[in-house]
Amino acid sequence: MADGPLRGIRILDLTHVWAGPLAVRVLADLGADVVKIEAPFGRGPRIYPEEPIGGFLGGDPGDEPWNRNAVFVKLMRNRRSVCMDLKQPAGRETLLALVREADVLIENFSARALPDLGLDHATLANANPRLIHASMPGFGGTGPYSGRVAFGPTVEPLTGLTSMMGYGPDEPRATGIAVMDPTSALAAAAAVLAALRRRAETNTGCRIEIALHESGVGYSGPWLIDHQLGRHQQPMGNRHPGMAPNGVYPCAGDDAWVAISCPNDEVWKGLCTVVPGLDPGFDLPRRREHENAIDQTLELWTQTQDKQSVAARLRSAGVPAGAVNTTPDMLADAQVRFRSFFVPLEPGPSIGANGEESGDSRIPVPGNAIHMPGISSADWTPCPRLGADNSAVLKDWLGWDEERIERLSGTVLHDRPPG
Amino acid sequence: MPRDRVLEIGHHAAGYCGKLFAHAGYEVVRVEPSGRAPAWASEQALELFLHAGKRRLRGVDSATLSALADAADVVIVEAAGADALADAGFEDWRTPVRVTITPYGATGPRRNDPATPHTLLAEGGYTYLMGDADRAPLSLPGHYLEFQSGTLAFVAANAARLSGSAARIDIGMLEVVMMMSQFTTMQWHCKGTVRRRAGNEFWTVCPSNLFPLRDGWLYVNIVPAFWDAFTLFLDKPELLLDERFQNNDRRMANRDDLNAIAAAVIASMDRAEANRRAEEARIPAGVVHSLGEVLADPHLAMRSFWQTVTGPDGTSVNMPGVSWRLDQGPRARLETAPPEDQGHG
Repeated sequence: MADGPLRGIRILDLTHVWAGPLAVRVLADLGADVVKIEAPFGRGPRIYPEEPIGGFLGGDPGDEPWNRNAVFVKLMRNRRSVCMDLKQPAGRETLLALVREADVLIENFSARALPDLGLDHATLANANPRLIHASMPGFGGTGPYSGRVAFGPTVEPLTGLTSMMGYGPDEPRATGIAVMDPTSALAAAAAVLAALRRRAETNTGCRIEIALHESGVGYSGPWLIDHQLGRHQQPMGNRHPGMAPNGVYPCAGDDAWVAISCPNDEVWKGLCTVVPGLDPGFDLPRRREHENAIDQTLELWTQTQDKQSVAARLRSAGVPAGAVNTTPDMLADAQVRFRSFFVPLEPGPSIGANGEESGDSRIPVPGNAIHMPGISSADWTPCPRLGADNSAVLKDWLGWDEERIERLSGTVLHDRPPG
Repeated sequence: MPRDRVLEIGHHAAGYCGKLFAHAGYEVVRVEPSGRAPAWASEQALELFLHAGKRRLRGVDSATLSALADAADVVIVEAAGADALADAGFEDWRTPVRVTITPYGATGPRRNDPATPHTLLAEGGYTYLMGDADRAPLSLPGHYLEFQSGTLAFVAANAARLSGSAARIDIGMLEVVMMMSQFTTMQWHCKGTVRRRAGNEFWTVCPSNLFPLRDGWLYVNIVPAFWDAFTLFLDKPELLLDERFQNNDRRMANRDDLNAIAAAVIASMDRAEANRRAEEARIPAGVVHSLGEVLADPHLAMRSFWQTVTGPDGTSVNMPGVSWRLDQGPRARLETAPPEDQGHG
């Protein structure tokens, strides 16, 4: 278990897919004691050897492929796993027993899933009035869309983002990265902390709802206010309403690009010292007026050079610039390596930044952007095997003896998918 | 119990963090920066969105700033780099919880490199995944990265306050981007695959695309569990028997055929019909809403999502409330106060 400021906070994690597990990963990294309540089929494909989206750890499904789903594993560090059938009365009762000992329960089921299991908020709160129940239904538990199926990519168009993103007004583009999921994940982690702090004052729990949809609409706030004030914007590709030039420019090599921003006149003058053919006397209105020509000049200069070299040269002149990085590019970045952002944690082998097997026995996973005392990846634990902690958690949290736990094994408690 | 006093210094990331503290009922004092950061909306819109419920000070000298920091429980500082933090005197302040948000973090060889969210999204791996395969990658518009970083700062600061320990917290925005990578890094480490952009397609499931309607656009994201339902949505149950589409791998291999079939059917629908059929078939689908349509969305209205905010000049608008509420009563009306001039500067 990770150390950190949330040490001693007990969290029941009933999340799945991405937004919920990422929210819990943030809290787990901060030291919370997280128990993941899993369904036997909760770890990816039900039919193996169908390959999950990120492949298997080390490229090998092994004897227990459900424990080697790489994308699932990436989100599940610093937790213990209890695999339990909540559709059985004894499973439901066991969960409620755990709820009595928990500080937080977090789930991202659809609005009707927990009530269908007899585990609505009133039941949870009755079991533990100090419980913070964080619920993450896609469209929330009320309102005309509450019954809709919601995934990040299908919620995104309803937030205003898709209407602002694209190569132009007639070419809308989705992000392709389900950005509403991590946005909602961070909101959920923040909501849990806000609730924990309020509970420290009031000694009462609460239900908090973090809807994927509303998290996304929230980030469109400035555009939505401007819209009401009569200022209407449209997609503008890679340009920016407050900066010029601002774009993504081709570099030498296959599909190689560099992102460049010019936020003010001083930076513009720096850009002019590096790139020939630009007029350092241009202010922002003039740069706007000549933006096409400026972009062409920049392209002529960038397209013959390596993307990392272009970015480094510009940054040394004070110009914000970044190579459009692929994953191996990210891994090789000096800053990323210095801060040890990627943490070798899961069983390998792993492919390294150079495209060869790295020789490391551990696969790196993205770390946590919060650097603070008490948080160190040195004490992080890898994703547990399915149901690995059934017995330990029921002993630790509930004080149950081995005989009582054994009676549930194989019927309510599992350590592998059935069949 | 006395509530925290929060000091906020910076632009959009710090501003968003302070907004979350203000929303949670804490006393937030914002020190206005001397310049304005380039923004995706007007200064008026950002002032209304970010700074309601805060006390704002302008023209604060370094001695006053230090005194404010020493009197605060939490200070949130957004800066261009590590040296800018040092110049502000940050390391000498005695605030119990001090949070910094910088492009690359407070340590490391690139701690002072210039950056914008646009360049950080590129370096963090997002930009390479967005846009068309044969065109320039697209950056993410709006203030996503700043608001995400501000949210993470809120998480960290509250965790520290909950623990009762003093803390110096360092958040680098590049790492915020990479922390939120979806499956790209594992695809690389475990399969040797570099994920690439694919226009509006999610690519790894099919169909997952933005299709034109008679009067707009519809995104569908048909992960395998929804394939049967999707054939009902299209009113083409015969696709269930089509060898080309028997599983996701086959659907990906024949994606052009499948996208063409779906596009032809969806193009005959209008938005209302698409929504009705998606709800009936229970498939994940979403119609693209304009900003005006987001503001008029009956779902958000019924959930009392909007919060009225009034600016210093008396302008009132609806803005999105913070995406969670600890109680379900109506949201309070908010006001954005003008900055108080401190007479220094």
